[in-house]
Amino acid sequence: MSFIPGQPVTAVVQRIEILKLRDGDNLILGFSIGGGIDQDPSQNPFSEDKADKGIYVTRVSEGGPAEVAGLRVGDKIMQVNGWDMTMVTHDQARKRLTKKKEDVVRLLISRKSLEEVVRQSMMQR
Amino acid sequence: MEDYDVPSAASILASVKEQEARFERLTRALEEERRNVSLQLERGSLPSDRLLGGNTGGTNQPLAWQQMVMQEQSPSNQTSLAMMQEPQEVVEETVTIEEDPGTPTSHVSVVTSEDGTTRRTETKVTKMVKTVTTRTVRQVPLGPDGLPVPEGSSPLGSYTDSIDRRYMKNGERFITPQATSTLTRSYNNYSDSYNDTPDTQFRHYTLHDGYGDMPDNYGSLSRGVNYRPYRPYMPTGGYRPENSYTLPIRKDDYGHVAQPQVPMGSSTVDLNRSQPERFQPEPYGLEDDRRSLGPEDEEPYDLEPDYSTANRRTLPGRTIREPLRNGPRVRGYEDPIEAELIDERHPYIHGMYPAPLAQPERGSMASLDRMGGRRSPSIDSIRKDPRWRDPDLPEVIAMLGHPIDPVKSNAAAYLQHLCYENDKIKKDVRQLKGIPVLVSLLDHPKAEVHRKACGALRNISYGKDHDNKVAIKSCDGIPALIRLLRKTNDMEVRELITGTLWNLSSYEPLKMVIINHGLQTMTNEVIIPHSGWEHEPNEDSKPRDAEWTTVFKNTSGCLRNVSSDGAEARRRLRECEGLVDALLHALQSAVGKKDMDNKSVENCVCIMRNLSYHVHKEVPGAEKFQDPSALQAPGSAGTQRKKKDDAGCFGGKKAKEEWFNQGRKNGEHDKNYDTLDLPKRTEPTKGFELLYQPEVVRLYLSLLTESQNYNTLEAAAGALQNLSAGQWTWSNYIRATVRKEKGLPILVELLRSDSDKVVRAVAIALRNLSIDRRNKDLIGSYAMRDLVSNLPSGQQRPAKNLEEDTVVAILNTIHEIITDSSENARSLITAQAIDKLVAINRTSQSARETKAASHVLQTVWSYKELRNALTKDGWNKTHFQPIAAGTPKGSKSCKPGYDDTTLPLMEKSQDGYSTIDQRDKDSKYKSSDISSDLQEREPLKNDTNRKHYIRSNRPTVSLVDACDVKPQPVDSWV
Repeated sequence: MSFIPGQPVTAVVQRIEILKLRDGDNLILGFSIGGGIDQDPSQNPFSEDKADKGIYVTRVSEGGPAEVAGLRVGDKIMQVNGWDMTMVTHDQARKRLTKKKEDVVRLLISRKSLEEVVRQSMMQR
Repeated sequence: MEDYDVPSAASILASVKEQEARFERLTRALEEERRNVSLQLERGSLPSDRLLGGNTGGTNQPLAWQQMVMQEQSPSNQTSLAMMQEPQEVVEETVTIEEDPGTPTSHVSVVTSEDGTTRRTETKVTKMVKTVTTRTVRQVPLGPDGLPVPEGSSPLGSYTDSIDRRYMKNGERFITPQATSTLTRSYNNYSDSYNDTPDTQFRHYTLHDGYGDMPDNYGSLSRGVNYRPYRPYMPTGGYRPENSYTLPIRKDDYGHVAQPQVPMGSSTVDLNRSQPERFQPEPYGLEDDRRSLGPEDEEPYDLEPDYSTANRRTLPGRTIREPLRNGPRVRGYEDPIEAELIDERHPYIHGMYPAPLAQPERGSMASLDRMGGRRSPSIDSIRKDPRWRDPDLPEVIAMLGHPIDPVKSNAAAYLQHLCYENDKIKKDVRQLKGIPVLVSLLDHPKAEVHRKACGALRNISYGKDHDNKVAIKSCDGIPALIRLLRKTNDMEVRELITGTLWNLSSYEPLKMVIINHGLQTMTNEVIIPHSGWEHEPNEDSKPRDAEWTTVFKNTSGCLRNVSSDGAEARRRLRECEGLVDALLHALQSAVGKKDMDNKSVENCVCIMRNLSYHVHKEVPGAEKFQDPSALQAPGSAGTQRKKKDDAGCFGGKKAKEEWFNQGRKNGEHDKNYDTLDLPKRTEPTKGFELLYQPEVVRLYLSLLTESQNYNTLEAAAGALQNLSAGQWTWSNYIRATVRKEKGLPILVELLRSDSDKVVRAVAIALRNLSIDRRNKDLIGSYAMRDLVSNLPSGQQRPAKNLEEDTVVAILNTIHEIITDSSENARSLITAQAIDKLVAINRTSQSARETKAASHVLQTVWSYKELRNALTKDGWNKTHFQPIAAGTPKGSKSCKPGYDDTTLPLMEKSQDGYSTIDQRDKDSKYKSSDISSDLQEREPLKNDTNRKHYIRSNRPTVSLVDACDVKPQPVDSWV
């Protein structure tokens, strides 16, 4: 997931489908994002590579749709409904996630622990 | 049957006919017996056991038989009653056609159920018929009184009377055991009937019981015992199935004490098996009693592993915990009765064994013993019938010295029963000097006697009252047990011996005594043979697997306890010939068979862990391997190479490892380790050297991967922890081997375990492993999230609520990992640990947690290159300083803090280990596990701590300089 020049990049991704919670006019996903190409990547506490300007999940509300769907704090969002999220501004990402027409968002996320799981399963062969 | 309310007349008719046929057969059989008996009487040959048989007089016997026969033939009395009373029950009658001792016969049993359908079942049963003579004898006493009794309501009284008289006549309270031949029949019937329909069979029982019970043999002991349990039945009196039981029982009681027992175990075999089941419903007092007995029964247990566990080992363990049951025993009979009865039936089902009892001589004894199990405290019996009473404790103890062996063994069995879970009685036995007598019986040539004595000692030795253990030791009980272990081949006796030793081993002062007297014997007699290990493996035969026998479990539990008794004990165990080899073989076999969750494996791993403790200091010749530079990874490699030839074992694995290290920037640090060479061996390693050979790493990792047993997991992690703790060459190998065997991910995975102690052991193992620089890097990048996720955080409760010690252990491990590695500190920040650390530092109720968190924070802050990122996250130096309130703590904290944390961790880890002793948890826990953990960890502490302290000082200074800049990162909810 982290990008290190000269090193191959591997990303293990997971699909997460979040059914938005309707609260009056608002559709709620129940998490917050940080990051984006317009943000200071060094402030991102979740990125392994501090130059990574990707979108990260910064908070997940307890019991909310995102948590139910399995999203976790620190997940890096790679895609939203097929749209790339690795090179977007913070606001673009936010808008992609909050389309009023869409009741469901399908995320592609990468997560460090996923890599570990894969690594371990490979190692334990 | 006629009374029975049945829909179809045809079926009734059918069943009536059936019964008639049966009765006919029975009558024939009875008459045959009568003939036999009279023949025997004439001959005047009575088995030695039945001393009194002659006295009773042959004349009466025929009458008795007649009467009995009458009863059978005219079912009206009891049978009809029973049936009427129990409309719901299915009445089952079993007819035993032949009495062939030991020959399997098929019995036809007819079951009439309420709906009127009749079904036939054929059961193959091996009958055990005992000598007819016995019956006669007993009958005589019963005859006069007992005969009138037949009616369900009054039988008790009459029987009792007869018994009493009988006794009176004899003048002795305890009549020497006469064989209970009668039992056989009734047993057979029982089993049959039970198989088909557990509920019924009044008639048979009654009849048989009547015949069978000439309980004189058992003497007063058995009587007393029997009484209590059964009484409950009487009161219930209804038609429940139990009643049917009750009747037979009563007779038994009255006639013999023995009989009641018989139904339970009917044949010894049956009893044994059946008992376990009963035991399972723990709540009932009666059952408890039996449990104590349970341990005595050997064979049955073996056959049915589940039961055995429950009864003997487990039960003792459980029972102890629930001392309350004893109370219920006495009082509770009435309630429990139903449950008991039901339970009892099951045993029968199981119990179709050809008869150990069949042997006439043993029969009485065996039945007694079993019965003994059932017996409950005498109090009840006294209530019931004031005329006779159970022997009191001094009398029982006096009986241990009775010239007649069966009396001795019965007395011992009764003592075992009385002592079950009853600390008061144990104490009384001790004060009445019963223990030396029991110990002296261990050398008795007769198996029954030393077996029962051993059973009693096992119950006495169990519990928190160490005085009992000391008493056994002071009369040289330990050497006596060991002697018997060498002498006997009887598995049951061996189980009892090793169980007793296990109990004794839980008391610290006795550990060394056990080692001195029994270590080599236990190893040679039990551990080696059962482990499957062979000194000189025969190349033709493939290696044997370990057998997880009870004896092995008990013995390994005992050794597990004694292995915790400090350096000398460890030395003795390590140097005990064949012990380590056998334990390793057993574990390897467990891994091979994927059978890693049992108690024996747990015990073995715990012994290995304990023996691995401080190997680097205690093993002969360890100095040669001391490697002062070991802690600095780069330096050590050279030294190692000098010492060892290049074996290049791991060369081929580099490639695999590479991906693991992908992305590591500082892989170059540890190049030396990659080429770490293991010493080449010219001859196979053996003995204690096996403890720390890198090969064991794979074993422990397999256990960590496969076992579901938390204690085993903890012990395996603890073993790795111990092995990786030292500063000698071997621990370098071990640390590298864990990495090369891909052990780190396995350990990291276990950080997610639900078991507190597993998490703790793993965390500490990781800490030791991270002495290796490359391990530290890997652990820092791959384990950090899991470590952090185990930390409590302010708002959200973590999934698992870990104990303070575990939290402290994790914090210390984190501290170790980020020490000297800003990279790891960065991943700590990445893992969002700062939040949690600050929360712990500020709000934790635990001073130790606070200190440990504070050390981590100080270390983090000491990396100036990280401060920028930290401040951007909104942190400032105050977050990383010891809390104001904590100032007092903080100042002290550095060294003491660490020490404290480590120690507590160890103690807790002990709990896991403590499991070892089923019976005595207390002692085991403390000594064995603790010591090992502690010691091992200590070395680590010192090193880490010192570094830390130095560093932490630095950061504090620099904190002042830091300036707070807080641009808030954008963060939007969606």
